[in-house]
Amino acid sequence: MKFGIFYELSVPRPFENGIESKVYHDSLAQIRLADEVGFDTVWAVEHHFLEEYSHCSAPELFLTAAAMCTERIRVGHGAVVCVPEMNHPVRVAERAAVLDILSNGRLELGTARSSTWTELGGFEADPDTTKKTWDEFVRTIPKMWTEERFSHQGVCFSMPERAVLPKPVQRPHPPLWVTVTSPGTELDAADRGLGALGVATAGFEEQERRLKEYRRRIQLCDPVGSVVNDQVATLNFLYCDEDLEQAARYGNALIGQFGQANSHLLFTREAYPTRAYGLLANISPGGGRRRTPAETNPGQSVNLPEGMAIGDPDRIVEVIREWESLGVDQVNFMLNALECIPQERVLNSLRLFGEHVIPKFSASD
Amino acid sequence: MLIGTTPLEQLVSELPTIPNWDIEPVVLDGVEILQAQFELAATNIEQLLPPALHPTIPPLGHWSCWEVPDSPWGSFKLVKFRLSCRSGARPRTFLLGAFIDNQEAQQNLSNNWGLAARQAKISFVRSYDAAEFNVIVNKQLALDVKLRNPESLATADLQLFASMQGANTPSGVRLVQFDPSYEVNRTERYTPTIDHFAPHVWQREGIDPVYAVTAWGANTTIHLPKIRFVCRPDIDAFRGTESVAKP
Repeated sequence: MKFGIFYELSVPRPFENGIESKVYHDSLAQIRLADEVGFDTVWAVEHHFLEEYSHCSAPELFLTAAAMCTERIRVGHGAVVCVPEMNHPVRVAERAAVLDILSNGRLELGTARSSTWTELGGFEADPDTTKKTWDEFVRTIPKMWTEERFSHQGVCFSMPERAVLPKPVQRPHPPLWVTVTSPGTELDAADRGLGALGVATAGFEEQERRLKEYRRRIQLCDPVGSVVNDQVATLNFLYCDEDLEQAARYGNALIGQFGQANSHLLFTREAYPTRAYGLLANISPGGGRRRTPAETNPGQSVNLPEGMAIGDPDRIVEVIREWESLGVDQVNFMLNALECIPQERVLNSLRLFGEHVIPKFSASD
Repeated sequence: MLIGTTPLEQLVSELPTIPNWDIEPVVLDGVEILQAQFELAATNIEQLLPPALHPTIPPLGHWSCWEVPDSPWGSFKLVKFRLSCRSGARPRTFLLGAFIDNQEAQQNLSNNWGLAARQAKISFVRSYDAAEFNVIVNKQLALDVKLRNPESLATADLQLFASMQGANTPSGVRLVQFDPSYEVNRTERYTPTIDHFAPHVWQREGIDPVYAVTAWGANTTIHLPKIRFVCRPDIDAFRGTESVAKP
């Protein structure tokens, strides 16, 4: 079992008095500690225009800073948005290669297509085509990394032969992932030999169902890259405290604040009817399967996820054992939301996790 | 976090009254719907919502028109203007104004579901390559929406949201969750323009539809159910939601 920390870089209003700077620098301090105590990966998303929810619009810069102040932890550029109005695929390949070089071969590259109208609309991207453009990106980026010169005649971009430089240091190339929000995307990942990077918190039963099919399909995959990344990661929240009452207090605040910030987002399907965006998983307000009338109660919290890593170290070990038994390879944790947990408590939570939980899942355990 | 800031009584000048919860569900067959969705200028958008609700970013205005060929109250056309929002974590819309062309339907929608609509002349036209609807209030054009370039969609591609509408209810002044269910028989997407929108006629001065997102049309059967939930307008839905009838 591997452990990661996962950053949306949420920033509470008002956006003044250096709060954005504080969030960025506190996060780097957390990453330094995570590196020391044994976490495997730090992930940072790419989002645009998502007020409060995520101010992480240039993750490659943030992750470069993270790589420069750490020695061991891998840097997960996850996920870069594979929509040409936001990123040209050549620029994605170039930036990722530079990050792989600067981190001495510690890059993991996640790919995504954005799920909000807030973002797609902001770039005037066509929601009908993002799945196709994502597919074209993931099929071409490994070639840009591994072929001396690359040319392409495609749908979302074309280019004459050029050397895409620099090349990443990992051979044959850094591991590739796709973020999984909508149910079914894990199958797109499997069919292409990509890791499934869960970014919507899913319960045990749902995760088990998805995992089983992913494992079956990836055996039959036609990989887009030179290597198959047969890994499944799931997203979780972490607040570890020896005082269970404090753990519950801050852990529930973390989940609640994340949910509140998330609820402001305008999801693509909500604004723009299209078959390219199915019902979202539980990351979207009211998303997921069609709801029964009883489930339309606005007074109920939606989808309070099971299996969250909130509690004292013993309880968290139990929860992770459950994830492990399902076959999940990596659990990525969000540590804070809208600064609802003071920095010292976040750092203490990381220390406790590193001291009491990670050793229970080490290879020799 | 952004939350609504204006008391409901200030947002809705004349709250409709639901005298009791003894509501008979109604089924409306063969309803044609046209809906245009525009982003609104976001400045102070929270002033358009009561404290129970919070806005989406960006705010989305929904202008929709129902052409109902038959109902217990006869045929009618209804135009609603709603604002995207959240009630708790649920996606909802908040009713900012409505017009209708049938007095009996007006009374029943108001008395049973708290849907306050004013009388107006409403035009609804749908042809093979375009559609449009407009609203004329006291000979003044209040809204003129044109839809072009229809593209067929699968009926499952459409996602429809309940609206929250202010009313005097047996429980007091509440936001009533108007939550019809829809059987969609046909749907298509359009490119919309709003050729005219007179915010003062809607008593919504300052609202500016600034960016066309999309539009859609549909043929549906609409089930108007009993009211299931109401919310106190002054506190968030997690604390202020009350159950009215079992689903």
